[in-house]
Parts: sequence; C-alpha cells; structure tokens
Amino acid sequence: MGNKLSRRRQVIDERYTRPQGLYQHKDVDHKKLKKLILDSKLAPCYPGDEECAFDLEECPICFLYYPSLNRSRCCAKGICTECFLQMKPPHSTRPTQCPFCKTCNYAVEYRGMRSKEEKGMEQVEEQRVIEAKIRMQQQEIHDDEERMQRKLETSSSSRIMTPGETGYRDLSSISHAVPSYNFPIESDEIAPSQESQSASISRLPSRLRRNRDDQFDVDLDDLMVMEAIWLSIQENDTRRLVTHGAALCEQHVTENRYTSTAIASTSSPSGGLACAVAALAERQHIGSESTNDLGDTSTAGTLPHACGPLAGEEREGYTSESWVDVSPDSRRALSREEGEWGTDIGSEMAEAGTSYASSDATVDLRGATIPLPNGVGEQFQPNISGSILPESFEEQMMLAMAFSLADARARTNSQGVAWL
Amino acid sequence: MTSSSAPSRKALSKIACNRLQKELVEWQVNPPAGFKHKVTDNLQRWVIEVNGASGTLYANETYQLQVDFPEHYPMEAPQVIFIPPAPQHPHIYSNGHICLDILYDSWSPAMTVSSICISILSMLSSSTAKQRPADNDRYVKNCRNGRSPKETRWWFHDDKV
Repeated sequence: MGNKLSRRRQVIDERYTRPQGLYQHKDVDHKKLKKLILDSKLAPCYPGDEECAFDLEECPICFLYYPSLNRSRCCAKGICTECFLQMKPPHSTRPTQCPFCKTCNYAVEYRGMRSKEEKGMEQVEEQRVIEAKIRMQQQEIHDDEERMQRKLETSSSSRIMTPGETGYRDLSSISHAVPSYNFPIESDEIAPSQESQSASISRLPSRLRRNRDDQFDVDLDDLMVMEAIWLSIQENDTRRLVTHGAALCEQHVTENRYTSTAIASTSSPSGGLACAVAALAERQHIGSESTNDLGDTSTAGTLPHACGPLAGEEREGYTSESWVDVSPDSRRALSREEGEWGTDIGSEMAEAGTSYASSDATVDLRGATIPLPNGVGEQFQPNISGSILPESFEEQMMLAMAFSLADARARTNSQGVAWL
Repeated sequence: MTSSSAPSRKALSKIACNRLQKELVEWQVNPPAGFKHKVTDNLQRWVIEVNGASGTLYANETYQLQVDFPEHYPMEAPQVIFIPPAPQHPHIYSNGHICLDILYDSWSPAMTVSSICISILSMLSSSTAKQRPADNDRYVKNCRNGRSPKETRWWFHDDKV
C-alpha cells in the first residue's frame, strides 16, 4: 500500500465528497460519487475559488479555481468534478463527447495535484501560446503592410489577390475547424533562424516600429537581465525544479516578461539582442517540437530525461474506471500501488510522463485519437497528440491559427520564412 | 429593438453569471480581433460589432451579433444571431440566423463567446460569394414568430467554411 493513498484518504474531508451546489445536479448517485472521491478516482468537490491563487487550477468550464482537477483520458484537459457531472449524467446511456477534443466516450481520471513538472510544462505551454499570439500580430501587421504596398504597386491592375489574403483564407478555414483542433504542424516547415527573423523585422514598416516603441520600452540592461534569468530558469528546470514555490511563480513572471522582450525585438532600437534571445528560445522550443513524437516534448531542454521506463507502470492508471463503468471493488489498488507516485522525484516524472509525453501514454492517446468524428482524425497528427496542447480552447485556437498563418506564409513567401 | 423575442428566458444561474463576468473581463483585456463588445448592463445579452476582415468579401463592412445566454450557460449553447441587416452569406439567413454547427449540435461548454466570434468571422472570411442560402425565403417565413434558431433542426453539410 503506498502511503500516499492512505494519506489521501484521510485528507479528503467528508463535506468535499458531495457537490457544493455549483449546479442543480439531477440524478447524481451521491453514494457512488462519495466512493469515487474517497478512492481518489475523482477530484474532491472543493468549493471553487473566484480568484486565482498560487497552486490553484482553473476549471475551463466554470472558470473557478480548484486545488486539483480531473483529467480527460483522451486529451488530459482538466475539469472539476461538478462540471464533469454535468457533462456526463451517470444514468445517461448516450456516450458523451469530450468537451475539449470531441473524442467519444469521454472519461476522466484523477491524478491528484499537479506535479511540479506538469505545472512547469503548463507554463511553457502558456509561454508558447503567448509567442504564437505575438507572431500572429506580427503577421497581421506584415500582411496589412504588404497588402497596402501591393495596392499601391498595382493600383491600376485588376489583380485582387494578395499573399495576405491567402493567409486570411487559410486562417479562416482553420479557425472554423477549431472544434476539431486542427494542428497542421510539419517539422520541415518549422525552420526558424535569426536570419529569417531579422528578415521579417526589417520588413516591418518604420511607422509601426515607432508606434510600438511607445508600448514596449525595454532597454538593453533589462534584456540582459532577462536573458540571465531565462538561462538560469533553464538550468533550474534541468535540475527538475528542485526548488519550486516562489521560484515557480517567478519563473512564470519572468517568462511573461521575457515575452514582451520578444515583442520589443521587432521594434525597439536595442532589438538586436532581444532578437537573438527570441531566436534562441524559439529554436529551443521548436527544435524539440520537431525532433520526435515519443519521449520528447517541447520541454526537451526542461526535462532532459525520457519518461519511458516509468510510464509502463503508470499506464495501469489508464485502465482505471470511467464514471460509468466503474466497478467499485477497484482495479485501482493495482494501479495505485504500482503506479503510485511517491514523494521521490522519479515517480513524479512518471506522472508528468503520462500526462504529456511518455511513449506508452502517447500510444494510448493515439488510439483514442484516431476514431475522432468530423474528420478530426485526419487532421490531428499523431505526433501532436503526445505533445503539449495549450490549456484553454481559445489558446488552442490561437495556436492553430498561428501555425496556419506560418504555414500560409511559408507557401506564399518565396524566401521560405516559415516562422515569425 | 430586434424582433427576436427569446423564449421566456430565465435569469442566469449563478455559475452562468460568474462565467460570463469572467469572459467579459477576459474580453476586455484581450478582445478577439475584429470584434467590439457594445457595453450594456445586461450580462445576459451581448451585442457585438463585427468588422469584416480586410481582404475578404466583407472588408470594411460592419455587422452586429446578438448573443443571448440561457440560464444554464455554458452547459447550454448561447443563441447567436446577426441583428438584421445580416451579411449576405450562403449560411446566413436574412433574419440573422446562422447555420453553424458549434452554435447548436456541436456546442461544447469549453467554448466561449470569443471562440464563437472567431468561428463566425472565419465563416465570413471564407465566403466566395455574397449570397443567401438557397432556402432563405422558406426558412425565414417559417421563423416568422420570432422563433429561435436553436429550435431549428439544422443540417450541416458544408464543412469547407
């Protein structure tokens, strides 16, 4: 028996084994719910917090904050127990679709609080989404500018199409496909380099540069400090975030700040270094993204160890029950005992591994991904399923659009600048 | 006022209210490009200005979306229509009803007003002809008494938009 199990049992307060009244639940089998919560198969019904605090996760359905969430088996998205009950009425015979990725037979599992690795990865995800947004903005500006210029150049001709338009078309087709999560990433199209970055920077009209300077007033010293922080974060991560707490918080902040430098890099006079920093980060992210689809995730730099070996055990956890087919007498003992995450770092790796990156878990996810309806399967590339997807729906959409823009750009731009 | 009398709507549930407030805050911080929320004190009905994207058939055109939230939002989809005059589009009826799966069968509580807006803009942007749906007149006649598009049984056939 892992001690964590018994500890967990004690920790769950009786009153958190029933809904807190977020919804008017109909037909909830309270006995069953209580058992599932006590057995750690569902997250306790903690009352949701209005405000974000450190260590709380936001449920993407009710937008309230909880100490821990359930994860969908198909796409590992979080959901609080009360929202989950709404998604999946226990007596319904109709298979429920995952609200996030639309996989049939939506089921969740509970893995306790997020591990430090998971939190770290989420932050990296956030960071990437922010970067994607920036790229989109830049693309937009660039497209506008190009369109204007094209208009000037060909004002007499009847030609209407511009590269910008092509980009737009592409954007539209993809964002409409949003409910089906279209991620047309192809590693060979991801070819960032400082050269390409500066190339597009130089194409930015000076008028815009001036405007943006007002917004992002970053000086060289700041940039250097930030780079130092960034590097030290990387180093910390490599040590598997032995320190956390405040340090993680800080990391989050600095990552955000770091992102603003990336913006500034397109505009400020001191953009050279920032540009280099951005390129560095870009390469780190993308390099790992395109390497392979197994143990490697976007945080290759952050999590240098493959998670494979431990994942085998943890995969037992994947067979744990869904809400409907729960057999109370629990295969769980098995999954928890073997896959139980102790307090040592190694098993935390396993946890993170299953959720995001381990090869075994990836296979599982793929299996779940293929039969997606609405043509999702065709577009959802397997190697993506194992890697990190942004947390919220909008972020995924932004990311998808950014990819599509980059993609369109690669096709319309003879220089082959795919990113930025 | 528009003619769309939402069928005797109940007040928002606590959870709907809370979520909408947060969506609104998020919108104010980070509005979807091309959209403007018209400020009112009515959380249950949002009126949103849509600007056609440049380089598309609807460039430099402005339309208005009306989003009505049901008591059990987000478990239930909001009702989204264009306030007439609605854009000329093969999936938009002249009464403002929009044939878009995520507004009906494919709604998921993980979606937001912002994500709906982006889907609608992309639907507009991908249009290749400014025209009404083939069955526009018949449909609009059937909806005469302010029927909600959510009561329509939609058939989603075009996955290209």
